[in-house]
Amino acid sequence: MTLAPDSFDFVATLVRRRSAIQLDVGKEYLVESRLAPLARSAGAIDVEAFIRSVRANVTLHDQVVEALTTNETSWFRDRHPFDVLKDTVIPDAMTRRGGQLRVWSAACSSGQEPYSIAMTVAEHFPQLRASIVATDLSESVLAQGRAGQYSQLEVNRGLPAPLLVKHFERKGPVFEVSEQLRSMVTFRRHNLLDAPPLGGPFDVVFLRNVLIYFDVATKRDVMRRVRSVLAPGGWVLLGAAESTIGVDDIWERVPVAGGALYRPREGKAA
Amino acid sequence: MKALVIDDSRVMRRIIGAILTDVGFEVIEAGDGQEALMRLEQHPDVRLCCIDWNMPVMNGYEFIVATRKRPEYRDITLMMITTEGEQEQIVRALAAGAHEYVIKPFTADVIVDKLGYLGLLDAEVHA
Amino acid sequence: MTATIDWAPVLAGDPLLQISQELFSTMIDLEPGLVERWVGDRPILDDPRYTWVDVAGEQLVRVVIGTGRETGEAITRALLGLPDGTPVSDEDYVDAVGEVANVVCGNVKSLVTHPGTLTIPVVAPAAPALEHGTCLEDACLSWRGAPITVALWLLP
Repeated sequence: MTLAPDSFDFVATLVRRRSAIQLDVGKEYLVESRLAPLARSAGAIDVEAFIRSVRANVTLHDQVVEALTTNETSWFRDRHPFDVLKDTVIPDAMTRRGGQLRVWSAACSSGQEPYSIAMTVAEHFPQLRASIVATDLSESVLAQGRAGQYSQLEVNRGLPAPLLVKHFERKGPVFEVSEQLRSMVTFRRHNLLDAPPLGGPFDVVFLRNVLIYFDVATKRDVMRRVRSVLAPGGWVLLGAAESTIGVDDIWERVPVAGGALYRPREGKAA
Repeated sequence: MKALVIDDSRVMRRIIGAILTDVGFEVIEAGDGQEALMRLEQHPDVRLCCIDWNMPVMNGYEFIVATRKRPEYRDITLMMITTEGEQEQIVRALAAGAHEYVIKPFTADVIVDKLGYLGLLDAEVHA
Repeated sequence: MTATIDWAPVLAGDPLLQISQELFSTMIDLEPGLVERWVGDRPILDDPRYTWVDVAGEQLVRVVIGTGRETGEAITRALLGLPDGTPVSDEDYVDAVGEVANVVCGNVKSLVTHPGTLTIPVVAPAAPALEHGTCLEDACLSWRGAPITVALWLLP
């Protein structure tokens, strides 16, 4: 079944208005696959019928936006950003800031990224005082992050077993993150289109797999807001398929083993 | 690379075997720990064992203990794949020498992802 | 060391539905949303097969899964990635549906940190006689519209 163009338009407009995320034509499959479970649980015969009921019922809008904006997530997603954090970013920040590190994990979803950052600190820099601000648009994913509870399926995804037994405790059906890691992370609701969150200036901002959803002008705005809360010498980590090229020439791309880091160019201060 | 899948259920052996074959492994099978030790004698080039816990004759935990006593097997990566999900059991298996632990049910990408950070994926095949 | 299991908090979490949904979405359907609680009267299973696995130990816990033969065959084909309509051998049937019971039972065992060990699955055309046991939960689920019963028993 293919989605009727006006149904797709309706969803794309709704999502753009609420989150600035751009769903271009060609992303119909994404709308279908993300909304299929909602359609099924609402008893609709298909996604098309579900969208018709969403158009008639404002109270369903939230869950549609959430279903389309929540990032798929796993522990240590893509691996190399956490190696870059350990090998480059933290040692670099320590020479400038001593024993303190401030991190912003933007679009953190249900918390796997900020807790993976916290585990990297706990494993390799136990003396470091790290504070991680984790933000997302969706209250429900933030609630899970704050609770620090993950199902068996969720801890299976990308979390090395030695870290699972060290930093989590099984409580009935869920695994709960240790107090040590939780004390490093603060979850806050935040829209990337608004003023940046409190808790900065940040030595590093994780902004991964978010820019891909935005148009160029929004990308530039988001990145400029990120720059305004970056500590001197601070770094930005983007997703593997993202870059600032063609977005804004104030950013310098610095290749590091396995990927790249971004920082504002010298002389182009905010 | 060669992998040994150790499970008393043929269905599970086939499921795990298919995942490993997809990412370029040559897969051999055993129905219990004892048979697995025999297979290791025949195939000294096995690099990965995927091991169920509950099996007749010799269970997966006993197999890990037996394997870790043999210096010639120290380069083999041992991954438990089991329904035993208690924290205590995971700790026991890791302490005995397992490198990874997957709780059933699982999806293929969970296994593939773990193989990735264990350094067991041939980049070309996987890409 | 007899530690009596406190089942109340475990059962409150609707474990049989939860575990079944996780198992079917990851290993059988490869997508979520196809297992739900059965709505309406409990149906009679067509050409029924019952599969059970025990946790043997201080307290004997049993998970019994009931399906119609055809549903069990569909589960077997899905687990093995066989095309629709492929004939299913008895051996594959017992192995596949047995694995489903094994995973459900193993997950129940993890929930209550039961120190016992899982037994080898048994498949029979009739439910096992459990007149001295206590049924803790007897769930009827719908998988793609077909009924599947999942029951949790405590045996003396």
